[in-house]
Amino acid sequence: MARLTHLPDLSAHRPFREGTFSSPLHSERVAAILGIALGVSFSICFATGLYSHFAQHPPTWFELPARPAGLYRVTQGLHVATGIATIPILLAKLWVIYPKLFRWPPFTNVANVVERVSLLPLIAGGLFMLGSGLANINLWYPWKFSFPVTHYWVAWITMGALVVHVGAKRLITLRALRPSRPAEDPADPPFEAEAAAPGVLADRRGFLAGVFATSGLLTLVTVGQTFSPLAKLALLSPRRPDVGPQGFPVNRTARTAGVLESARSPDYRFVVDGKVARPLSLTVHELRAMDQHSAVLPISCVEGWSSSQHWTGVRMVDLLHMAGAAPGASVTVHSLQPHRSYRTSDVNEAQSHDRDTLLALRVGGEELDIDHGYPVRLIGPDRPGVMQTKWVTRVEVR
Amino acid sequence: MTSDSEVEPEPREAPGGAPFWIGAVVGIGIMAYGVKGLLDAAPSTQPNQVGVSLLGLDLLHDAIVAPIVCLVGVLLARLLPRRVRGPVRAGLFASAIVILVGWAALRGYGHDQVPDNPTVDPLNYGTAVLTVLAVVWAGVVIWAIAASWLGRRAERPEGRGARGR
Repeated sequence: MARLTHLPDLSAHRPFREGTFSSPLHSERVAAILGIALGVSFSICFATGLYSHFAQHPPTWFELPARPAGLYRVTQGLHVATGIATIPILLAKLWVIYPKLFRWPPFTNVANVVERVSLLPLIAGGLFMLGSGLANINLWYPWKFSFPVTHYWVAWITMGALVVHVGAKRLITLRALRPSRPAEDPADPPFEAEAAAPGVLADRRGFLAGVFATSGLLTLVTVGQTFSPLAKLALLSPRRPDVGPQGFPVNRTARTAGVLESARSPDYRFVVDGKVARPLSLTVHELRAMDQHSAVLPISCVEGWSSSQHWTGVRMVDLLHMAGAAPGASVTVHSLQPHRSYRTSDVNEAQSHDRDTLLALRVGGEELDIDHGYPVRLIGPDRPGVMQTKWVTRVEVR
Repeated sequence: MTSDSEVEPEPREAPGGAPFWIGAVVGIGIMAYGVKGLLDAAPSTQPNQVGVSLLGLDLLHDAIVAPIVCLVGVLLARLLPRRVRGPVRAGLFASAIVILVGWAALRGYGHDQVPDNPTVDPLNYGTAVLTVLAVVWAGVVIWAIAASWLGRRAERPEGRGARGR
């Protein structure tokens, strides 16, 4: 560390000079309150993001449960809503701590070097996670990387930096949150002497109220994309849960998926094969003639919107029995889509045997719109929307 | 927990002690896992572009956004009386964030990406953003009037009261 002490002394020059940033809002207490809010919100985003990742790429130790049916809707809705609500909190926090960027000397010991260097991935990662997430829910991709993979790995980098930061700031945060008191004990002075001025206190309260009110306002004008009672207030969300063919949104249209002809072809067949005693090959009419069941289940998009619908179709478990699949079978569902991601999706045992997992032919009492997966789509409880495969042509038993 | 204050010249600023180092080792381990995952998943993660984006975001904030915000803060402090400064500052902050969050929809980026999907960006976002901004500034006006009125009332009995610096 000796070399660090030979840095040129900039502490007499702006912006390194003490007092350059005179606003009393650059305060430890304000930073601590915003910091705790960020710690909570980033943890919520990370946990719900992990759930979504495991749902789509299950590790060996994880099996996506079928119940509660609306779990994915809640976790992913929370993920996106929390991310949006965090945007003003993160930007406010960065402004509050901005003067610390110019502290001189920059480091005082090795621990200090570790702490301050880890701020780079923390701040950059925080901005990256919120920025890329916001762009993604708007289907805006001004970059070359794959969003889900990159968002996932940068989340680990950001959370690692957050752990370092919490370790470094735990004491200062607790001290900053203690009520202010007079400077009686010189060995333990009040955290911020100036906090006693009532005007300053009011100013800080007003600042925090403005930040959290902005956070609340953003929630109010976006959360309706998943929380239908507030749908009419969802002015800034890129989706409305009640707008689309048959009254709900579409993520990938039949045209984009390249299935406009194949989905309507008279040659269309619905096949159940793989590890089965009696492979099936059915026409749409034959599917319609089978026992029909109904379930109210949400389509829950990874991008944060969701919409509950009344689906009718053939139970997956009935098809498995009919084809003579072994008990406990899991399946892969194949779409007519010739290529692109999410062409297939896996359905584990718990989900394939759930009574509400349907190969749906109808929604809201009508035949499925082609953009919702005509002639047949998969719909099951607690599944990410991208795994509710549309234009299903094959159920492969594994 | 730690005795930083006895050994460190700046007890409030300088981290240290066992809990810090445990956090640092665990945190750096998690970061290393993330970096490895990012590199292993190349080229779909485009590590170079991600690295440039991360550094770029830090620089964008520290060298451009924050100085502009500080400048606006200085102007507000000079131009506005204390009692309305808070509401106006909050209003400007909220307006900037509302425009930021609404930007992609406002510009129709999502709609351009999937022009055959009318369920993406279904609203007139110019009107939507202006509506939200109107709500924000209505709140600012109410807050400023309330703050001025309460402030004047608090000053009356004593003649000084909560006058700031």
